[in-house]
Amino acid sequence: MSISLKVEDLTFTYSKDSEPIFDNLDFTLPINSFNLLIGPSGSGKSTIFKLMSGLYPQYNGTKKSGRILLNGQEITDIVPFERARHVAMLFQNPSRQFAMKTVFEQLVFALENIQYPAHLITKKATTVLNNLNLWQFKDRVLQTLSGGEQQRVALATILALDSPIIFLDEPFANIDSASRLVILAELKQMQIAQHKTIFISDHDISNYAGLVNHLYEIKLSSKNLLELPLSKLSKLPNQTKIVKKNLPDNAAFSWHNLSFHIGERLLLSPNSLSIPKGYVGLLSGDNGIGKSTLFAALAHQKKYSGNIFYNGKPSEKIRLNNWAKIVANIFQNSSDQFIKLRVNEELELSQSNSLHSEYWTAKRVQDAVNKLNLTHVLEHVNYQLSGGQQKKLQALIILIMSQPVMLFDEPFAGLDISSLAILLTLIKQTTKDLDSSTLIISHQRRGVIEHIDYEFLMRAQTITRLGEP
Amino acid sequence: MQTVDHTKKGWSVKDVIFLAIIAIFFGIIYQVWSFAYYAIAATPLKPYANDLTLGVWIMAGPLAGVLLKKVGASVVGELLAAAVEMLLFSSWGASTLISGFVQGIGNELGFAATGYKNWGKLGLLLSTIGSTIITFIWDWFQSGYSAYHVGLLLSLFIIRFISIGFFSGILVYWIKKLVDKSGLIK
Amino acid sequence: MNRKRINPAVLVIIMLGIGLQITFAHSVFTNIGVIIITCLYLSYCKTSSKLLILTSLYAFPLALGSWWSFIAFGTGDVWHIAWIYASRVYAYLYLGAIVTLTVPIKDILLSLALHLNLSSTFVYGLLASFNLLGRIKSQYKTIRYSAMMRGTTYHFWNPNLYLRIIIVALNWSQDLAEAMTSQGFTEGAQRTLTYKDNLPKWQWGLAALLILLYFIFSFLVRPW
Repeated sequence: MSISLKVEDLTFTYSKDSEPIFDNLDFTLPINSFNLLIGPSGSGKSTIFKLMSGLYPQYNGTKKSGRILLNGQEITDIVPFERARHVAMLFQNPSRQFAMKTVFEQLVFALENIQYPAHLITKKATTVLNNLNLWQFKDRVLQTLSGGEQQRVALATILALDSPIIFLDEPFANIDSASRLVILAELKQMQIAQHKTIFISDHDISNYAGLVNHLYEIKLSSKNLLELPLSKLSKLPNQTKIVKKNLPDNAAFSWHNLSFHIGERLLLSPNSLSIPKGYVGLLSGDNGIGKSTLFAALAHQKKYSGNIFYNGKPSEKIRLNNWAKIVANIFQNSSDQFIKLRVNEELELSQSNSLHSEYWTAKRVQDAVNKLNLTHVLEHVNYQLSGGQQKKLQALIILIMSQPVMLFDEPFAGLDISSLAILLTLIKQTTKDLDSSTLIISHQRRGVIEHIDYEFLMRAQTITRLGEP
Repeated sequence: MQTVDHTKKGWSVKDVIFLAIIAIFFGIIYQVWSFAYYAIAATPLKPYANDLTLGVWIMAGPLAGVLLKKVGASVVGELLAAAVEMLLFSSWGASTLISGFVQGIGNELGFAATGYKNWGKLGLLLSTIGSTIITFIWDWFQSGYSAYHVGLLLSLFIIRFISIGFFSGILVYWIKKLVDKSGLIK
Repeated sequence: MNRKRINPAVLVIIMLGIGLQITFAHSVFTNIGVIIITCLYLSYCKTSSKLLILTSLYAFPLALGSWWSFIAFGTGDVWHIAWIYASRVYAYLYLGAIVTLTVPIKDILLSLALHLNLSSTFVYGLLASFNLLGRIKSQYKTIRYSAMMRGTTYHFWNPNLYLRIIIVALNWSQDLAEAMTSQGFTEGAQRTLTYKDNLPKWQWGLAALLILLYFIFSFLVRPW
């Protein structure tokens, strides 16, 4: 059976009065091939995938013109249970794509949806799980699996549906690189053996050379999709290392024999470290290894064993609302940070409750706002800002609060290189001036590493300081 | 291939999950604050505890109404909250579902009285009046209010109206205004 | 499971059929009858006795409060009334327990879909959200911490707290619904159903009989 998926003259916008995100887009998906889509976050990689799989505009946005045709038929008009037999999708957030509790139930759910014959369902689900070596996970509770395992179950669900076209929307954003390699190999094998068409989006282009048949990029300027030469995949920038520095032994914040689990999985075995005052550190390590969970534990958001100390005092003896004035967590998801509606309200709240109001004078705040290019959005609603503006605002309101310990979780995601430099300079300046202890998680190293004073690496359930004897 | 009927407007799975997640959050908030309720409920002042907190228990209904703005949203919202409460945070047993349904009807009547055209101040005012009266009648039978003194009944009715008026009326109105300003629900 | 159980859908009908009548009944004896019969069924199903004792203890303050308030503020035969409403708390509790403590949530919902036409949109919407319970709990902590970091507290009467909850519910429900749709879930469409349960006709008869017996005793015989 031949299959085709075509986008014709598509113009799509998220809200009626805003600029379109795609403008007169034409695209034909190359069938029986492995394709990669790259582009900065916020450029519309998810959007184009969700359009081509028929989820948008049902779930978001408005199509102003054009058509998306699956085998010549407008895809949004096709009922989901028919669509799923042709086009399937794997989502960015591994844990929010399951309707059922266990692995086997999830596969059965999908097969029931497409009205697969009842007496064949168990057999089909069993075969698929065996093929992906997931049989031993059959009765495991999905929410207790690691991100990598969850994505492989999602892949099994798609295989059970037998959909020939598979979209994968940043599937590796939360999973470790070993699982990533396993899944990539499985995908390539599926693509060749079962004649699948794969379209994957990723912000990291490593390990794709040799796998990919076509490489695309979303061009922001023309709001269109552009094919790039495959040679781009083999030219990877070198990873830079941090210059070793001798830092003073002045730590006020430390942990002793700290360890924690998620479900049954041990993420950190007893570990002891301290972080120096007045310096900015980088916490690196694989996706899904437990870096965000470490921040959650340090901020008393997640159960742990062991002790956390501030100025020699065990944190367990400090009330949570006081602890929140010692350890600030700058969340990966910006909307978790906002507690007011508008930008100026957020800034005013931070200023009036700042722990260093003598430092954060009106002029200094104004300067920071100007530098971060937020001046023209002061009256805007936080949730209406662009992803990058939200990131900058989020970091600024915590910098103004000036907790002695500041934990930044991916503060630069979606920022262009100049915004990144400005924000990082501001973080560094504040840390130095107020003698704070700052730790940053950032998958992006370019433009960051040069300004970092030390690096912690989280790997194999432990954290070590790099460059130490 | 078979096509979708875009004109159909029933409940979508997204609406159901949306309300169920809100209901689970409510369940968590109730757990935190139910200590206060329990402390009073173990004494003869239990009817006061009931009426004073009733507005908090039934907020989910009018909130679902003003967020989804559709016929039946208050009843379904309150029923979903009751189902979540019964299945995940079980403590009241069988009466949870039944009371949830009755409370939802009370709220729904208010919005219905405006012909489902007003989801603002008027709709909410009528919905709080509706649920105060309906739930009071219900407690007349279920919680034996028929056996209390007239004086106690009068003060309970007033307390109940204040509680429902604040939590299921004013607070829901404030939330709706915030949500509208945020521009997140089109 | 070797032992024969009552079908979940039938249990729900019994629960609602009797629960609704309890509200209007005025008899300590019939309440105790309900408590005895439900407890017998619970022990037949080998429900964890620890869990039963815990839930019973949890409901004790409520039963005590009911009882006491009628002694203090009641009119008429206050002792009778006090015992009616105190025993009613437990009648409701165990009546709910025969459903929630003997059948997994998934089976309750699927059985209701199979035998009583509960729409699959509600069944799978609820199941999908229930899986997120753990994540919702930690998200609630995140929301509270976000306020504390800024030197304020979210009280439960603060509308901003609910805005935060609504934003999370909006994003997560959209993610889940998109995923379910892409896995072929279609509102109102036919699906294959592999869930099977045993529902012999006599069980409907049993439900009708129990509901009728309760009616006769509570409203016609009317023991103390």
